Amino acid sequence: MLYRTAGQFKTSYQADQALFPVKQDAFLLGVILLLAWVILPMVASEFVFQALLIPVLIFSLAALGLNILTGFAGQLSLGTGAFMGVGAYACYKMVSIFPEMNLIVAILLSGFFSAAIGVAFGIPSLRIKGFYLAIATLAAQFFLVWLFEKWAWLYNYNASGAIQVPNLDIFGIFVSGPQAASITEYYVVLFVVSLLTMVCINLTRGTLGRTWKATRDMDIAAELIGINLMKSKLTAFAISSYIVGVAGALYVFLWKGAAEPNAFDIPLSFQVLFIAIIGGLGSVLGNYLGAILIVGLPVVLNLVPNALGISINSAMVEHLNVMIVGGLIVFFLIVEPHGLNQLWRLIREKLIIWPFPH
Amino acid sequence: MNHFTKLAAATLLAGVTAGAAMAQELYAPNLSYRTGPFAATGIPLMNGQADYLAMLNARDGGIGGVPINAEECETGYSTEKGVECYEKTKGAAIVTQPWSTGITLQVLPKTNVDNIPILAPGYGFSPMADGTVFQWAFNMPAGYWDAADMIVQYMESEGSLDGKKVAFLHLDHPFGKEPLPVLEMHAESKGFELVPIPVGLKEMQNQSAQWLQIRRERPDYVVMWGWGAMNAGAITEAVKTKFPMDKFIGVWWSGHDADLKIVGEDGAGYKSISWSFPNMDAPVMAAIKEHVIDAGNTMSNEEEMQGVFYSRGVVISAILAEGIATAQAEYGTAEINAEQLRWGLENINMTEERISELGLDGMVPPFSTSCANHTGHSGGWMLEWDGEKFVKASDLLQADVAGYQALLAEKAAEYAESNAPWPTNESCSAMN
Repeated sequence: MLYRTAGQFKTSYQADQALFPVKQDAFLLGVILLLAWVILPMVASEFVFQALLIPVLIFSLAALGLNILTGFAGQLSLGTGAFMGVGAYACYKMVSIFPEMNLIVAILLSGFFSAAIGVAFGIPSLRIKGFYLAIATLAAQFFLVWLFEKWAWLYNYNASGAIQVPNLDIFGIFVSGPQAASITEYYVVLFVVSLLTMVCINLTRGTLGRTWKATRDMDIAAELIGINLMKSKLTAFAISSYIVGVAGALYVFLWKGAAEPNAFDIPLSFQVLFIAIIGGLGSVLGNYLGAILIVGLPVVLNLVPNALGISINSAMVEHLNVMIVGGLIVFFLIVEPHGLNQLWRLIREKLIIWPFPH
Repeated sequence: MNHFTKLAAATLLAGVTAGAAMAQELYAPNLSYRTGPFAATGIPLMNGQADYLAMLNARDGGIGGVPINAEECETGYSTEKGVECYEKTKGAAIVTQPWSTGITLQVLPKTNVDNIPILAPGYGFSPMADGTVFQWAFNMPAGYWDAADMIVQYMESEGSLDGKKVAFLHLDHPFGKEPLPVLEMHAESKGFELVPIPVGLKEMQNQSAQWLQIRRERPDYVVMWGWGAMNAGAITEAVKTKFPMDKFIGVWWSGHDADLKIVGEDGAGYKSISWSFPNMDAPVMAAIKEHVIDAGNTMSNEEEMQGVFYSRGVVISAILAEGIATAQAEYGTAEINAEQLRWGLENINMTEERISELGLDGMVPPFSTSCANHTGHSGGWMLEWDGEKFVKASDLLQADVAGYQALLAEKAAEYAESNAPWPTNESCSAMN
């Protein structure tokens, strides 16, 4: 009833191929965008910005990048954390070499460095598949983190080996570093994430996306119908690593403020992979849902005992938190093995035919 | 209209009383880590800290009559959780205790904007000693560069270091790299060869490669900057490879009783520099026993309480409490704010008399801080494992701060420059 698609006739090809052909979808997206761009920034406190909104957006973007590679093109990767690191270090070097550079430009450029590295490590994908490819990307993960530690030029020979984000401004407003206000950081992140999400939605619907899906579903068949596998796989690696690299630059510059090499170690790769899997492989929306579950929920759960006035030890809260989030992950995967995106799709379908299911 | 006025008045009153009720405590949160890979070393420290403040609350009703709320926020030693905890607690907090070098590095630049003192006793960034640059950061009673200097002094006291070889086994992490500038400086001036041997975070528990290198290099001393599982790994490996334990010296975070209990007698002779000492006869321990342990309000146990780390936790809380008391005396109010606590921490004067007044006899060396000197450079004792417990193996050693004063100022200035605009405290002229 609420989600009735009956009567929404398409009279042109253009209308039929619109990004959101169903009116309600477009409306819902409008509400979400309004919430993200106007309402949330007005009501959010600094804690909400720093612990919830910014990290959820950044992790969504990283998972989106991984999803292009793993979900759309079917190439399993365990090197996401390291590719994020490449983006972060590239951005750090750029702003330290060209201090007057616009940060948003630097962030968007830093993705190209991780794209190049991603393609280099994607070459083995032409010969190997599945778990074997996962091992090749694991090599990238270990090698790159080792490089971040050993190559002192990357962190400007800082004695502690960590990179520290300087105060950078765009038109006199600090956008990164300790002087930046959370709300500015949030808007920068939101802008970059919205932009890249838009690009991704369009890419995955177009020729490239269809090529990737064909490669994923059966590469031999794809090759037989004339798809160039090398091009398909390497573009997937390039675009995926680009987005992951941008997410990495945002992760350090607009959220953490400082990072040591082991911040990009394998736990980060796993975290992003879990978000992508739980959100739903081969989807765009799923990354956001997954990030809310994996990154946002633990923060909210941590606040619950205090809000209810129950005083329990903070270590206990942490243990309970791990158990609850773990339990929820198992629950969602049992209820819907294809991830949260599929869950939403089913709910939506039910809503469309409600109240008269056939 | 009348109704409305009454309502407004009631709301106002409620607001005022609520505000007053809120301020009836000093909120000193601790970013603890009782979970995760470093929990084994974190728990005794956190227990010591919590128990001392619980004792003050039970015995004296807090500090200056205001109870302290030492709420813990669990980080599991993860920097991401650390940021979350910092943001969560900073609103009402008068101090932040980040507890990991990673979290310290992230919180350090923010405290300058948020104006909250950051208390990192014995850890963090060594140039934080420069109070003119790091107005809000404190790492008293001694920093890593002090530790490196004292260890070199101790080695030198056993004979000239000229031509000798010193292996520097360290965690490959900002924490482990911290003392390198001072060690390199001494290696050059005293003529010993420094061999840095990094241990990756993933290799902490399996250091066979590193110890193979140590066997090959045959160093005269091994100096260790280890933490968490790395200490136990190194100590068991040293026993296995029969490295002479009395030539093996660790920083204060490498002197954890539980790590040495694993090897027991075989570990006898292992040394660790320390600015705290577990003196079970000190009055403060008796007070903690009476007011906290016997009341059943502790998470600690008898064995843990005898360890170096528990007593270090007690000393850390005592330093914080002293900072609070100093600020209260200066400003004539019990409910101090973050700004006032900063003044208090800058003006701690822990003389021998004050230490015994607090009941901390023999647990911490005397030190004093100033506006320009945020470390205090207390010096420390060389502790030695006798097979069962740590005992003092030296008199109080004093770091030769003048030797690396220039380096300290240079690194601090470098930090300020790379974080510009970085407000410094120009009113402090006297250096450390």
